[in-house]
Amino acid sequence: MANTLKSSFVTGWLLDPFQPTEQHARGPFRPVLNKLLWIVPLMVGIAGLAVALVGLSVDREQFFFSYLVGWTTCLTIALGALFFVLIQHLTKARWSVVVRRIAESLTWSFPLLALLSLPIFFGMHDLYHWAHHDVMDPSSPHFDPVLKGKESYLNVPFFIVRAVIYLGGWTLLSFLLYRTSLRQDVDADPSIPARQRKISAIGLAFTAVSTAFASYDFVMSTDPHWFSTIFGVYFFAASFWTAHAVIALAAVLLQKSNGLNGVVTEEHYHDLGKLMFGFTVFWTYIAFSQYMLIWYGNLPEETLWYRERLEHGWQTHSAILLLFHFVVPFWVLLARTVKRNGTLLAGVAIWFVLMDWFDMHWLIMPTHSPEAGISWITLAAGIGLLGIFFSAFMYRLNRHSLVPQNDPNIAKSIVFAT
Amino acid sequence: MLNDLREYIGASMSIYSPREDGLYGMLAEFRNPGELVHAAEAVHKAGYRRFDTHSPFPIHGMDKAMGLGNSLVGAWSLGGGLTGLAAGYLLQWWTGAVDYPMDISGKPAFAVEPSVPVMFELTILFAALGAVIGMFAMNGLPRPYNPLFNSERFASVTDDGFFLHVAASDKNFDVASTDELLRKIGALSVEKLYDLDDTAE
Repeated sequence: MANTLKSSFVTGWLLDPFQPTEQHARGPFRPVLNKLLWIVPLMVGIAGLAVALVGLSVDREQFFFSYLVGWTTCLTIALGALFFVLIQHLTKARWSVVVRRIAESLTWSFPLLALLSLPIFFGMHDLYHWAHHDVMDPSSPHFDPVLKGKESYLNVPFFIVRAVIYLGGWTLLSFLLYRTSLRQDVDADPSIPARQRKISAIGLAFTAVSTAFASYDFVMSTDPHWFSTIFGVYFFAASFWTAHAVIALAAVLLQKSNGLNGVVTEEHYHDLGKLMFGFTVFWTYIAFSQYMLIWYGNLPEETLWYRERLEHGWQTHSAILLLFHFVVPFWVLLARTVKRNGTLLAGVAIWFVLMDWFDMHWLIMPTHSPEAGISWITLAAGIGLLGIFFSAFMYRLNRHSLVPQNDPNIAKSIVFAT
Repeated sequence: MLNDLREYIGASMSIYSPREDGLYGMLAEFRNPGELVHAAEAVHKAGYRRFDTHSPFPIHGMDKAMGLGNSLVGAWSLGGGLTGLAAGYLLQWWTGAVDYPMDISGKPAFAVEPSVPVMFELTILFAALGAVIGMFAMNGLPRPYNPLFNSERFASVTDDGFFLHVAASDKNFDVASTDELLRKIGALSVEKLYDLDDTAE
C-alpha cells in the first residue's frame, strides 16, 4: 500500500527517522527543496566546529565552556519548539496549524543534540567543579564541605543517568509526536488528533520538570555553590522566547524560497510576533524576580553569583542583556507593523537567536573566566553548533509536507485572522 | 473658530450637526453584514468621510472598509503607562529618600531594585486607565440621545438590521445624489433623518 509512512534506514535516524513523504504534499504545502537552505549552514557549521577544535588544543577548559554555551543555545531552541508543539495540541489550537510542522521538525533535533552532548561528558572535569574527586575527600586540602553535602545529587554516575533520562525522554516524545503528524500526512486517520493530545498531556508534565532539572544540571551546576529555584523557569522562558523566533524565521525563509504561498499570512506572523513580545516581557519578569529576591535577601552565597556578573567587565554584558534582550525588543515589537511584516520579523528573530546565545554565555562563562570577554573559541563553537543544528533542521523540514496537511483544522488555520 | 473645532471633534465621534433646515443625514438599510461592508467601501470610495455604520454585532474588516486608521487608544494607553512608570519612581523616591527616610538593615533609602514592582504595577494600572479614559474621550459615549433614534426602522439595529448613515454635514452630501448612490449600492430603503429641536415649541 502506498499510503504508509516508511522508516528511514537506521543510519538516517539522526537526521530524520522517516523516508521523504514530499510526493504526498499538496500544492503550496510542497517543500521548497532549496538545497542552499541546508548546505550553507552545514558548511558554516563544519568550518565553525573545525576552528573550535583547534581551540581544544589551545585552551582545553575554555573549549569545553565554549562548547557548552553553543550546545545549550541549540537545546533552548529545541526545547522551546517541543513546548510549542505540546501546547498547540493540548489547547487544540487552530491558528498555529500552518507553522506546527516547522516546530515538529525542530523537535527531532534531540537525537543530534544527544550525540553532540558527548563532549560535555568528556569535559565534565573541566566544566563541573563538583566532578573533582578531591573536593569530596575530607582528607584532601581541596575538600569542600558544601559540595560534599550535595554529593548525593551532584555525582558523575547520577548526572549521566539524569542526562540520559532527559535526552531520551525528549527524543521519545518528539518521535511520538513527529510520527503521528507525518502519518497523518499520508493517511488522514481521524483518531490521530486525540492520540496527539494524549501524548502531549503526559509529555508536557515530563518536559516541564525535566527542562528545569536539565537547566540545573547542565547550566546551574557549573557554579555548584550557587542555587536558585527559579532558574528552571528562567531557562524555560529563554527557550520558549527563542523557539517562537526560530519558527517565524523558518517560515519567512520558506516563503522567500517560494513555499507556503498564501498559507502563512501576516496574521500568523502577527501572532508569532505577539508571542515573541509577550515572552520578552516574561523572560524579563523571571530574570528580575530572581535578581530582586537575591538583592533583597542579601545572603552572601546567593549574591556572589550576581557579583561575578557585575564586575571585571561582566557588568557590560549584564547591561547589554537588559538593553537588547528586553528594552529594545520590547519597543521594536510593540509596533504592529513589525509584527505583521515577515521580513522585519525575521530580522528580529535572528536578533533573538543571537541574544539567546549571549544569555547562555552570560549564564555560563563568568564561572570560567572572571574577566569579561567573548573568546574566539566561544564564537567558533556557537557558529559551528548552531550551523549544524539549523542545517539538519532545514534538511528534515524539506523532506515532508511543510504543514500537517490533513489536520482537521488546517483550513481554519489558513484563513485565520486575529 | 471654536465652533468649527467643536464640530470637528464631534464629527470624529460620529456626533454630527444638522443642517439649517434640521436635516441630519440619510439612513440606509442593508440586507446583511457582507453588503454593509461593501456599502461602506463604496461610500468611502465616493469621497464621503462623515458616515457611520451600525450593526447588532461587530463586523470583521469594517474598520478597513470604512477607511478608518489605527485607533488612537493605544497611544492613550502608552501615555498612561509612561505616566505610571514615572509616578511609581517618584513615589518610591520621595517617600523613601525625601519625606521619611528609614534605615532598614543598612539598605539604601531609595534603590531601583525594590521599586521596580511598584513602578511596574503603576505602569499597568495607569496604562489600563489610560485606555479606558482614551476610549471614552474619543468615542463620544455614552450618548443617550441620537437623532438616528427618530427612525422607526432603526430600532431593529439591535436585532437584525444593518444600517449606514451619511451625515448631512459631509462636504459631498447632497439629498439627490447621496440617495442615488445609496440605492445603487443595494440599500433596501433610504430615508431622510431630521434632528429637530422639539423643545422649542
